[in-house]
Amino acid sequence: MSAKKGLFSIWMAILGIIILIGLFTTYKLFTTGHVLFNTNDVVIWSLPLGVYIYLALASSGLTILAALPLVFGIGKYEPFAKRLVFLAIATLCGAFVSIGLELGNVFHMIYIMFSPNLSSPIWWMGAIYGLELIVLIVKFGLMHKGDWHSGFSKALATASFILALVAPLMIGSVFGITESRVTYFGPVMSIYCLLMAFMSGTALFLFYSLIVNKLNGNGVPTELYDEFALIFTYATAVVVGFTLLKFAIESATVVPEFLAYHQFEHAFGAIRGLHTEVLLGLFLPFVLLLFPAVRKSVGGKIAASALILTGTLFMHMEILLAGQSHPVGPKAEQYPEFINYFPSIWEFLVFLFALGIMLLLYSLGERFLNLTEAPE
Amino acid sequence: MPRYAMVIDLQRCVGCGACSIACRNENNVPEGIYWSNKITETVGTFPNVRYHYIPTLCNHCEYAPCVRGCPTQAMHKLDNGITMHDPKKCIGCKYCEFNCPYGVIYFNWKAPHQFWRNKNSLLKGGTASPREEVKKVGAKKTPYENPERGATLPANRSKGVVEKCTFCDHRVKKGLLPRCAEACPANARVFGDIKDPNSDVSKLLGKFRPFRLREQIGTNPHIFYIRGFNPAQYKQTKGGI
Repeated sequence: MSAKKGLFSIWMAILGIIILIGLFTTYKLFTTGHVLFNTNDVVIWSLPLGVYIYLALASSGLTILAALPLVFGIGKYEPFAKRLVFLAIATLCGAFVSIGLELGNVFHMIYIMFSPNLSSPIWWMGAIYGLELIVLIVKFGLMHKGDWHSGFSKALATASFILALVAPLMIGSVFGITESRVTYFGPVMSIYCLLMAFMSGTALFLFYSLIVNKLNGNGVPTELYDEFALIFTYATAVVVGFTLLKFAIESATVVPEFLAYHQFEHAFGAIRGLHTEVLLGLFLPFVLLLFPAVRKSVGGKIAASALILTGTLFMHMEILLAGQSHPVGPKAEQYPEFINYFPSIWEFLVFLFALGIMLLLYSLGERFLNLTEAPE
Repeated sequence: MPRYAMVIDLQRCVGCGACSIACRNENNVPEGIYWSNKITETVGTFPNVRYHYIPTLCNHCEYAPCVRGCPTQAMHKLDNGITMHDPKKCIGCKYCEFNCPYGVIYFNWKAPHQFWRNKNSLLKGGTASPREEVKKVGAKKTPYENPERGATLPANRSKGVVEKCTFCDHRVKKGLLPRCAEACPANARVFGDIKDPNSDVSKLLGKFRPFRLREQIGTNPHIFYIRGFNPAQYKQTKGGI
């Protein structure tokens, strides 16, 4: 017991150092500016935005998953509900840290409320995620007090579910209405983001819960995890299908922007023309999950979900960067035809800060908030 | 209310860049940022080659993607059609820059006019430091700063916000032409009210078939290009097999 306490203290100290480094990064960004990033007027959005998309979508996925017991009344999943809601809150906080440090002037955020632009997908994305965070926190508070099934509590669960469905669509539409970048344009990005949200949320939950189970052991029946692994397999199958369809359409078209896009879309390399991160971070775990032996073993579940979690981040970065790799219009006069990008140390530190906040919340929640509690 | 537009006569434009220099001086545009810019292109295979030059600036689109996407209405339309930016409301999300089909919006990645912040003189005790020079002329950021720009926009924008051409709204308000149009030695830039059939802009658009940049995406840009300079002659031919 004391060894566990000691380990927890060391873990907290590590997280404390990460948070301190993150605060220093924040100070540097506010004083020096975003020149600290390896961005420019061509590669405008980089790692911090990719991390935001990654975490925000995972948070939506966790909320959608929480709807199984909380909205659709599947009682056997209730032991997971509290943890799912808490993880969704903590992951969204990490996402907000990342985007907060990506913004040039976070103090002007007040105008999101005082001068809203209802035609802006970024406004809707911010408003919906902001509201979702509030709803999830209130819902979690009620669950923590033992109020799982009152009308208000159920209404909050339903509201959070709807918000979690709409928010990824909004992230997708931030890209999807960009006429100037044809490779993003259209409703495909919204559907893709929603599917990725569900898959990455499920992966995050399985990965996290199984690691915590290994460390703590919390008595949740393992067959329930097997059922979640099956849901995870279905979610991955849908993303695999959609990704193949997307590839097929992109490969078949001769729209000039897509032909140019093909030159930039292998940021992380390719194996026989297929993106490395898609092969290793999506197809490989999907194939692994098709084997019942892998799906039912703890190690198999952890490996598959870890691969998906890594692959998803790279896939988001790939899409984000490929659409920004060449200058638009007269910017070609000041910048080369193709732009190379590798994150600066400060961008990695923003990523680390977001993860640090998220992990700190996870750890404190796991320690003090009895996350495997279920009603009666 | 007028609807302002600009016609750029490519036959008159010699690519001297006076528009860009005038714009930079008028609007205190920092290094690395171009409110007035150009697209150059070399076509053909040597020796049959040709160089094209298209001056660019904000297109002040009717359906501006930057305005539609801005979450705080920092990027907004004025009644006279000018696409205007309010840095006080800008959160620096850069979505306008991401969304602009014409590549004419820039972000202040660092505090502007860095050179003039330098406190070190080249020869200690001999020359003034850039910072001292700015102080001596009573300016804020650069010794050549134009305070009139500050009438409708902070004269110098700060780090963390975007900026772009405003059709010199501060001059237009006073009945003056945008500085680029005024400075053009070849009168290649013609500015005016496109709603007024008697304006020079309307007359030129009736006389010459204009083209606009990326017209097909439906933003209805209000920078029109007419004609094209080409002194080349060629022997009449029907080609051959």
